[in-house]
Amino acid sequence: MSKWQNQLRNWVSQYFDLPADVMLDLPRITTIGSIHAYIENCTGLLHFSDHEIRISHRRGELSIKGKDLRIKMMLKEELLLEGQLLSIDFIDEPKGGGD
Amino acid sequence: MSKNLPVFQGRITIKVKGGSIESFMQTCVSEGCVLSQIKQLDDSTLLMTIRVQDWSTLKKYRKRHKCRIQFVSTEGLPFFYNAQKKKKSLWLAIVCSCLAVFLLANTLWSIKVEGLEPELEAAVKSQLDSYGIKPGSLSISMKQPREVQRLLLEDIPDLLWVGVKKQGTSYQLYGVKQTNYDEPEAPRPSNIVASKKGMITKMFISKGRPLVEVNDVVKKGKMLATGELKEDSGKYVEAVGEVLAETWYRVEIDQPEQIEQTLTDGSSSTVYSIAIGKVSIPVWGFWRKNDEEDREERYEQTFELFGWELPVRIGHNTKYKNEFLGQQPSKEQSVKEALKNGRNSLLVNLNEDAEILDEKILHQGVDRGKVKLILLFKVEENIAETKYVSQGD
Repeated sequence: MSKWQNQLRNWVSQYFDLPADVMLDLPRITTIGSIHAYIENCTGLLHFSDHEIRISHRRGELSIKGKDLRIKMMLKEELLLEGQLLSIDFIDEPKGGGD
Repeated sequence: MSKNLPVFQGRITIKVKGGSIESFMQTCVSEGCVLSQIKQLDDSTLLMTIRVQDWSTLKKYRKRHKCRIQFVSTEGLPFFYNAQKKKKSLWLAIVCSCLAVFLLANTLWSIKVEGLEPELEAAVKSQLDSYGIKPGSLSISMKQPREVQRLLLEDIPDLLWVGVKKQGTSYQLYGVKQTNYDEPEAPRPSNIVASKKGMITKMFISKGRPLVEVNDVVKKGKMLATGELKEDSGKYVEAVGEVLAETWYRVEIDQPEQIEQTLTDGSSSTVYSIAIGKVSIPVWGFWRKNDEEDREERYEQTFELFGWELPVRIGHNTKYKNEFLGQQPSKEQSVKEALKNGRNSLLVNLNEDAEILDEKILHQGVDRGKVKLILLFKVEENIAETKYVSQGD
């Protein structure tokens, strides 16, 4: 994905007031307090244990830490997480490594 | 839509053990599986629930990702259904017992009739029987109590009122007999006239003024008693009374001299058949054919099951060989027979209280093989007939 394409998408989403996750292939994470997390637009599950879950998306990875984590439901690009959430960390993919 | 409800879908809870469970899960999910309730048990084991249709996908990829799958439990209607399939006898028993309870609960067990005399009670019961209401019959097909009440009141005129109540498996009836009042409130003025010609032997006029006396010979239509108590007063009561009179009847009787009788000699042949509806199929004995004039008797046996008549019946057709026997009774005998016949046929035509006092043979002759008798009977009977008077209005 070239750089000017990214910039074009950014510009289109701002100009037409479109949601950024649709245009930019970014994950959308919805949390309800610190008990639920609903992650969309993810591409893969990298690690799952009851205190950490790591998920890959198109632009990198994200890591959610917590206690007693459970996956309530797992679909192709969606994940519903339950438990006590402590933190959400974004780990940017090093440039050039992508898909 | 309803197929997608969680209840209708089978779900399997499994334990997955292996090194790269995450990639295994990712592969399955990208193939369209739905994984839910994922929980970590220990470092290399996860507990999850999958849909039953996803099982083949999981099976396909487990080797590639070096995972081992262990079943924990199953839930959902398909699994429940499969489990119940193995308990067919249990379900059969449940259905049978439900059916039995249903049948027993819908069977009429008793009919109670209260407040009626035994005669009327029997009449009511036989009427109920004809409506199909009897102990042991199913109450599903029965008429409503209200309808039964209406029918009973229509069919039994002696009933003034009847209460019909269906209580569970019993019918309770409470009847009130109609009391026929002898005297209507306004007595209808009437006279008593003779219904036949005769000689009065006994007379009892309980109401009214007698106009004749014992040993009077009266013609038909003669007034015997009047309801006008005072002569020419114009005030009438209803005349009531009994007038016994001697009446005479002439009876002509033809009696054949020869009496023909058909007798069976006891030899018979029976054809058995099975009848369904109007169609009858011979089953046994139909090859026996008799050319002689036979007497045939048909008897059909029906079967009942729980008060229902089965449509299949077994018919017996029995043929008896006939033998004719001509009898020539003596003259005395045939005269005696003719007298008896005459007496009986006369009594049939008369009232119940009529009594034959005397009989006489007026003429006796034989004509073309027949004994011809002319008889005279002397009979005592009630000749009183109430005749209402219209009081000129």
